[in-house]
Parts: sequence; C-alpha cells; structure tokens
Amino acid sequence: MAVGPSSRRQPNEEASTALGLTLLIALAFVVFSWAAAGFSSPYNLYALTRTAALNVLLGLAMMVVIATGGLDLSIGAIGIASAMFAGYLMQDFRLHMMIAIVAALCFGGALGFCNGFVVVFARVHSFIVTLASMSIIFGAMIVLTKAESVRDLPPAFLALGKIRWFGYLSPMLMVSVAIGALIAIMLRWTDLGREILASGANSRAATLSGVRVGNRIITVHALSGILAAIAGIMLSIRNGAMVPSMAGNLGQEWLLPAFLAPVLGGTLLSGGRAWVVTTVLAAFLVTELTNGMLLMSIGEFWVQFALGSVLLLAVLLEKGRSTLMGTVEGV
Amino acid sequence: MKGSKAFSTIIGALFAVVGMSTAALADPSTRIGIVAPGPHPYFTQWESAGQQAAKDFNIGVVDYRVPNKWELAAHNALLESMASQNYNAFLIFPGDPVATRPTVADLVGMGAPVISLAGCLQDPSDASFCFATDNTVAAYEAAKLLIKEMGGKGKIVHFAGFLTDPNTKVRIDAIARAVAETNGAVTVVDNITDLDVPEAAQDKINAFLATQGSNIDGIITTAWIPSVVAATALRKIGDKRIKMIGLDNDDLLMAAITDGYVSGTVVENAFAQAYVGSFAVDKLHTGCTLRSDAPWKNANRSAKLMDSGTVYVTAANLDTYHDIQKEKAKELLTSFKSNYLKCP
Amino acid sequence: MRQEWLGLAVIAVLGFIIMASLRPAFLTPFNLFVLLSTFALAALIALGQMITLAVGQLNLSLGSIGGLVAVSFAGMMDVWHWSAAPSFVAGLALGALAGALNGILIAQFQLSAFIVTLATLAMFKGLNLALTKAQPFYDIDKIVSTFGNASLIGPIPAVLIPTVIATAVVAYILYRLPAGRQILAVGGNSSASELSGISIKRAIVTAHVMSGVLAGLAGMVAVARLQLGQPTIGEDWLISSFAAPVIGGVALTGGHVSIVGTLLAVVIVALITQGLVLFTIDPFYVQLVLGGLILLAVGLNSLRSLLPVGYSLP
Repeated sequence: MAVGPSSRRQPNEEASTALGLTLLIALAFVVFSWAAAGFSSPYNLYALTRTAALNVLLGLAMMVVIATGGLDLSIGAIGIASAMFAGYLMQDFRLHMMIAIVAALCFGGALGFCNGFVVVFARVHSFIVTLASMSIIFGAMIVLTKAESVRDLPPAFLALGKIRWFGYLSPMLMVSVAIGALIAIMLRWTDLGREILASGANSRAATLSGVRVGNRIITVHALSGILAAIAGIMLSIRNGAMVPSMAGNLGQEWLLPAFLAPVLGGTLLSGGRAWVVTTVLAAFLVTELTNGMLLMSIGEFWVQFALGSVLLLAVLLEKGRSTLMGTVEGV
Repeated sequence: MKGSKAFSTIIGALFAVVGMSTAALADPSTRIGIVAPGPHPYFTQWESAGQQAAKDFNIGVVDYRVPNKWELAAHNALLESMASQNYNAFLIFPGDPVATRPTVADLVGMGAPVISLAGCLQDPSDASFCFATDNTVAAYEAAKLLIKEMGGKGKIVHFAGFLTDPNTKVRIDAIARAVAETNGAVTVVDNITDLDVPEAAQDKINAFLATQGSNIDGIITTAWIPSVVAATALRKIGDKRIKMIGLDNDDLLMAAITDGYVSGTVVENAFAQAYVGSFAVDKLHTGCTLRSDAPWKNANRSAKLMDSGTVYVTAANLDTYHDIQKEKAKELLTSFKSNYLKCP
Repeated sequence: MRQEWLGLAVIAVLGFIIMASLRPAFLTPFNLFVLLSTFALAALIALGQMITLAVGQLNLSLGSIGGLVAVSFAGMMDVWHWSAAPSFVAGLALGALAGALNGILIAQFQLSAFIVTLATLAMFKGLNLALTKAQPFYDIDKIVSTFGNASLIGPIPAVLIPTVIATAVVAYILYRLPAGRQILAVGGNSSASELSGISIKRAIVTAHVMSGVLAGLAGMVAVARLQLGQPTIGEDWLISSFAAPVIGGVALTGGHVSIVGTLLAVVIVALITQGLVLFTIDPFYVQLVLGGLILLAVGLNSLRSLLPVGYSLP
C-alpha cells in the first residue's frame, strides 16, 4: 500500500531523480554548446523554451491520467479540437480573446470528462476508450472545419506570440511551470490530490477507505483535457493560426513527448505515483535533446530513434531500480 | 523548487556563451537555405538548381534542406534550427500561409531576407516577395485547356494537394472561375484534397474512379502525386475517354502523355524558382533593395508576386520543354535585374 | 462463440447488397478489384494486431515495423540491386527480428507492452528515416510493381495471395500447433497456464514475432501496390489495426480471438470507406466512423463478458 514506509521513501527518490535530471540537462547543455553550432544563441534558446513549454504541458496532461493507472491517447485530438474551437469563436463570432480561450478550456475539459465517463461507466480500459475518442474527436473536428485552418485572428492574440523575455526566454515556459506548480500543490496538499494518487496506487483499498475512485478517474481525464486545450492554444499562439494538422494526423505527434516526460520523470504506469518537478525537468531535457540533435548535421533523422531509445532505457532503469530496492511496483 | 536552481546555473553559463553566436551573425558571405515543406519530388529539383546558382553567381553556401515529414511543427523546427546555424538568407515554401509567418518574422528580424518560393505567405508578411507560379492564371488556363479537350461540356473532378499548401485554395478558385465561364455546360463534381501523398492518393483516386468513373468526363490534377496516380489508374483501366490534364513532370506522367492517356501537363519552373531565387536573395542580403515601381502581380494572396511561369507540355513538345524552362529562367533573371532590383 | 461472427457476416452481406443496388458501379470488375486490394492489405494489418491481442498484449509499433520493412525491402532492390525473392525473405526476417525485440524486452524484463512498443515505434521510425532520409526508393524490381497491380482472375488481385496464405498459416498455428494454443492460454489466464507448465515468455515472444512478420508482410504488399518504397507506409495503421480485431470480437484481455470475425470486420470497414466515396460523402468521416465503431464494439463486448473491476493491461 502506498501509505507507510514507501511514502516516506518517496521524497528521497523524487529528489534523487530530480538531481539526476538536472545534471543531465546541464551536461547536455554543455555538450551541445560545444558540438552543435548555434545551440546557445539567444534565438535558439528562445525557440527551445517555447517548445519546452508545450512539452511540459503535454507531460503534465499525461501524468495526471497515469497517476490513476490509466492512459490518454486523445490529448492531441482534444488539444487541437479545443484550439480550433477557440479559433472559430474569435474568427467567426468575433469574441474576445479571453472568452475564446476560457471557452476552449471548458471544451477540452468536457471532452476529457466524456473520456473519463466512458472509462468508468462502461468499465472499459482507458487505452481503448481514448484510442476510439482520439479518432472520433479528430474526425469530427476535420468534418466540421473541412480541414481548413483558422487564419483570421485578432491582433492581440497574434501579439502574444511575439513576447520574448531577455532575448532568450519565452514566457510560455513560465506559464507551463506555473501550471505545474499548481498541480504539484493539488497533488500534495489537497484531499483531491491524495485521492487521485490513492486511486491509482490501489483502487480497491482506496474504495474501502471511502474514496470515490470512479469520480477521481473522471476528474483526471477532465484535467488532462483542460491541459491539452491549453497546449493547443499555446501552439496556436506560436503559429499565429489554428491549423488542424499541427499535431499530426489524429494528434499522434504529441504522444511520444507526452509519455516521455512522465516516464523519465519517474511516474509509475501502474499509478499511484506522480512527481511534477521531475516530469517538468524531464520534459525540458527531452526538448533540449531534440533541439540539440536537430542542430547537429547528423541529428535530424536520428532524433526519433534517440527518443525511443531514451524511453526504453528509462523504463529498463526504473525496472532495475525497483527490483534492486525490492519494491513490487510494476512499470 | 530544485528546477529553478538548475535554471539559474544555466542562465549564468548562457551569458558567457552568448557572445560566441552573435559575433558569427556579422559574417558577410551569403549562406542561403532553400527549405522545402516536406519530402516531395517537386522540391528535390531545387537542390541542383541551387547548386547551379551557387556556381554561376559565386554564392558562398546554398543548402537545400527538407524536414523529415510534411508537417508544420517539423518545418518550423527546421527553420528555427537553421536560423541558429547562421544561414542568413532563405528561400522558403510556406508550411502554412499564415502559420509560417511568425517564423519568417523571426528570421527577418535576425537580418536574414526571406523570399517565399513556389507558394506565398498570406499578406501581410515579412517576406521580401513571393516567387511562384501565378496559380490564378496557371490553374485557370489548365482548366480551360481541359474544357476544350472535353469539347466544352461535361463533368470534371479536381484532385488537389494539401489544404495547408497555400496554392491549393487558389487553384480550386481558379478552376471554379474557368468552369463558371461555361455557363453550366461544364461542372465540377468534386474537389478532393490532401492527395499529395502516395497512400491517400492511391486509395481515394482509385476508389473514386472505380465508383464514379463513368460519371465524369475530365480530370484535372493540381499536385504532383495525384497526377501520377491518376495517370497510372487511367492506364490500368485502359481509359482514353476521360480527358486529363496533370501537373508537373513525373516520368510516369510523361509516359502516359506519350501513350495518349493524358492530354498534357502544366510544368512549373522549379529550376527558375531556385536558380533566380538564389540570385535574388543573395543580392538582397548583400545590400540591394527592391524597386518601389517593380511590376509586381497581385495574386496568390500576395501583393508582391513574381510569376515564375509555366510550360504547357503535350506529346508534341515533350522532348524540348527542359530547354524552354532554362530559357525562361534566363529571361526571368534579366527581367529581375532590370525591373525589380536596385543595387547601390 | 461461433455465432459471434454470424452477426458480422450478416452486416457485411447486407452492406454489400445495399451498395450494389444503390450504385451499380459498385459491381464493376475494377471496383471489386480495388475493394479486394484494400482488403488484402488491411487484413494483414488486422491479423498482426490480433495476434498480440491474443496473448493479452498490444503492438503499437506495428505500423513502424511495416514501414521499416517496406523501405528496407525497396532499398535492397534499389540500392543493392537484389532481386525480389531474396529481398522478400530478408524483409520477413527483419519483421521477425523487430517483433522478437519487442517480445524479448517485454517478456524478459516484464515491462509494459504499451511502453515498449511505443518506444520501439519511435526507434523503428527513426531507423526508417535514417535509411531513407525521408525520400522514397523508386527503383524496385519490376516483378514487385507488376504483382502489386496485377489481377489473378478478373477482379481478384494478386495481392490477395499473401493474405490468404498468411491467414491459413495463422489459423494453423493458433488452432493446431501447441505454440499457438499456448499463446491463447497465456492470453486467457497467464497464471493458470504457468501452473500447467507453459512458458509465458516463449508465448509472448512467439506472438510478437508473428506480429512482426505480419507487419513486415503488410509493408511489402504496400510497396507492391504503391510501386515505390515510401517511408510513410504504416503511419496511419494504428486505428485500423485495432478497429478490425475489436469489432471482430477479439477480447482485449486476450485468450480469445476470432480470425473469421476479424476478417469480416476488415470487410465491413472497407465497405464503409468505399461507401463514403460512393455516396460522395465527405471522406473525412472515416475516422469519425471508425472511432465510433470501436466504442460500440467494445461496449457490446463488455456487456457480453464480465470484466473485473479496475483491471489493467499488462
């Protein structure tokens, strides 16, 4: 059970993972600055922080669902659909930017809610539910938008994408980190957060202690939907337009970064453990690796291979560590 | 949070290293990046044209780069990465007419002139100008040719490329215009888009021809891959009744023209685009500017279009069109120098 | 359980009749040829996923393996000038190897099939890109491209042959060979099968190897149809690879598969896709419909069988 000796051990595990990731980030920075021309230029760092902002959000979105032992394959579809929704509100209905964004977040949350609802009440695993909903949501969006982008956005919205701090930092990264902080607070200090983690760690025991596991599962799916919507909006700000294909077909392109961050960050796939700090650091590291490799002349085509290998390595290491320490948590 | 401590150490290291890259930007020799939106046979023609331009015009570096998939995020990432590698002049096919604008703005903001090639950014943009086929004319003319081949009446289907390709919508509208002039004698049954990949083209075009083939009299394709797939399909069913006009110059398409399955094809001047484009952007980088009275065309959603032109190829001029293209490239170069460029 | 696929068969036949009567063009030899060609490829993909579902797992890297084998197959002919036959065999071997990698990682280290195949999905895609630099291989053996578009008799395409053979082999293995029965046993109840002396590891590896071979075969069939080694082959196989087995009544927990059901489901999906074109409905509806069918099928499945509370995929 999660409560007890292992939870006392947790802060140390989290700290050591965070330290390890930080060291890797610094190491990668040094190596790439030397090996990849232009890596440490202000522009590149700005672009890096901008992409990292997105990857952090994706990682957090997946992390909260994994915390209850589930998966969400539809974050790409939800994110893009929500962004398109906001776009149409701004373009066709001339609504104010803030209203459109809030509406998009509600929309994403609602879609996530539907996912959670089906998972709980049809008693089907979230893998297959979100696989199906990924297709339904993306398909419906394409049909409704006729695959056309939203290109006529208010200048205030477009201006958001041009903000640049100190020449090398994108404020979007700060937004993502702030959201991460909120989630960390929620998980550690609120009943909601504790219930979410308990549901993932051992749903039967949680139910016995009075936790409404079903509700918590729905909650995390809704939360994931909201985070996905924010990610979609962020990408639209960066692009100055809402393009239906901007996360790939069915939103597939977001899946790898969304899984890499939590897994590298020590989140257990069986649920019950989710660390925000390490997930954020892991997302940053993954972005750094991708960015650096792209700058190196051989890098471009090996990036995918490298990312896949990193994921594999991470689960192997985690398996090795848990076997060594005698914990019986599955990866 | 531990994360913020890591950040401050990084920031410190940063300031120490920043100088390294800013110094390099002042490099006077031109480094041109020709950037395609994705893997596609049309754009590979730019590579050799760019090399030719480097040789003829004594340009330091002309590199052709392509992201590993035709996808906006990959395209932007590649452009950002090239900007950081001190390419200081760009010829870019937009991944999306609007969504590529911010990245172009970044590049121009760093002092690198950008010319959008073969496809235009939607105005207003920071690109110096757009050097592309005027599709309001090209697609229109192609449609008119098809209508003539069909004898002035019948039903057409239009197989088109990606919706994020800035040219697609322009082509759809141009064809609609040509068809409207027949006052109902000719109609467009459907515009099927996103066909510029082999699998999608195979599935959709074959399915369409299988089920609706007897219902149509003409096919117009405005993208490379559907042109090849449609030509191959017509050959497979042995159909010479349906008239077809294609786009670009794939070998399979040319063979189909020779054998009579396809009436002709509209060949864009990829060579001229990369060749003259390299010359132009090199000049813009080394201090020249554009004349305010230059004869721009206002088309393809851009107010500053320079038409790279097309050659209509049939069985008659199949062997000579390459030379015609090189000729036209020379003409464009001369015209650019005298009418568009102003050098100190 | 035999009656399961009866319902699907009725739907398939009905669909056929409705389409044929509303649009006579449906029955033209060319259209049937196109339909069967689409079916041939889709069936291989569905079988590939069905096998891993049988052992109670899944294979996200199915499409990537298909793509990697596809470009390797084409590359061997284009760059190394091998003829079709050795390239084909090498392609199958590569598929088997890729599947083996998946299976061994999962079985030996007891890792989640989801994460492992997600990781290998990226790795195989990366290898694909590294080999091709995103450009297709054009110069393949003439035999292959002819095969891809040839008809056997009338509307029956040549590409149906690999599918028929593959189906027969899979059926034979699953229902006649001990290895196959062990796969189903492990999928159905792994602890019980372990107690009866079945090696879980071997069953898992076998299933993934078979999945890899089928994926490779599908990739090579795709090359034959497209007449070039296109790096993007396999990229959109994810949804359809799950849709057909799920609709065809394959239990997601494993242990129970229906080859006939899966194939019928492939037919139904192909009919729907063609139907959309036939009735000039927006082809973008395909994904919407597929997703809805998956949900429907899974919903019906869960009504039928009893799922324990809070079960998780291995």
